[in-house]
Amino acid sequence: MLDVIQFSSFSEFLHMGGYAFNVWSVYGLFAVFIMANLFLPLRKKQQILKEQKRRLLFSEAADDAQAPAGDK
Amino acid sequence: MWLWFAKLGSPKWFYELSSKWLPWLVGAMAILLSVGVIWGLLFLPPDYQQGYSSRILIVHVAVAGTSLAFFPLMAVAGTITLVWRMKLADMVAKNAAPLGAWFSFITLATGSIWGSVSWGTWWEWTDSRLVSMLFQFFLLLGVISLRSALEDSDKAAKACALLSIVGCINVVIIKYSVEWWNTLHQPSSPVSLSPDSPNGPEFWIATGIMILAVYLFLAVSLILATRNEILVRERQAQWVQDLVRQE
Repeated sequence: MLDVIQFSSFSEFLHMGGYAFNVWSVYGLFAVFIMANLFLPLRKKQQILKEQKRRLLFSEAADDAQAPAGDK
Repeated sequence: MWLWFAKLGSPKWFYELSSKWLPWLVGAMAILLSVGVIWGLLFLPPDYQQGYSSRILIVHVAVAGTSLAFFPLMAVAGTITLVWRMKLADMVAKNAAPLGAWFSFITLATGSIWGSVSWGTWWEWTDSRLVSMLFQFFLLLGVISLRSALEDSDKAAKACALLSIVGCINVVIIKYSVEWWNTLHQPSSPVSLSPDSPNGPEFWIATGIMILAVYLFLAVSLILATRNEILVRERQAQWVQDLVRQE
């Protein structure tokens, strides 16, 4: 079943028996689809964590400023 | 059983469990995707009529088949939201909609690119399979805009849950469209692993690997998006704040 690679040269591989545009655009789209839906959520996670950390540090600093001196 | 159910609904529990599962899911997905794509591009023999354009089909069939899972998934999550008000279920439903729209779009695009050579046309308005799949794409865009249009997030969750349940009707129509109205899109070929089946066993095994890979991808992507949603919605919770500090 896996005994034969269907192409004898790299250019023949790119040519896809005359269906180069169709085959490569579908596999290209598929790659974009997979990558986008894995990396966008990962990037968003970094943004969320960064934003929340900033907010957390800000509110802690505000709490400290409000507390009377020598209270800590 | 009920304790398990209540636990499953806890965002914290889900976040911790998914942290453990993600590496395994990603690993299995990466292996199956690589095998599927390499097999598809290098080893799959040309079809006697379609030539190498048949290699498009293992991607198209896997994405199209998986795209039908979205409305049932959102309907189940929506029912859980409506009946038990489980927060986690709505987070899953919310993030499933845009991913489902991606799936539907890729199904339409890859099908169109295949059809342009095999049918000699990119699109056919009279074909029920094509039109019902396009309808699924618009329905999902509808679910997304419904959620953003309603300001009260509780109302939005309920409205989206209802639309998702109703949307399942369209899934049945997509599935059986090729049998009810046979116009252009061919019905699914009978799966057969015997060496003399028209497609040959390697075509089915390659398709099967792709389907598994794409389902795993759906799981991984949806889990990643749901985890983000948890971090946002549960930002006041102590465990999220601890997690943020550690970063």
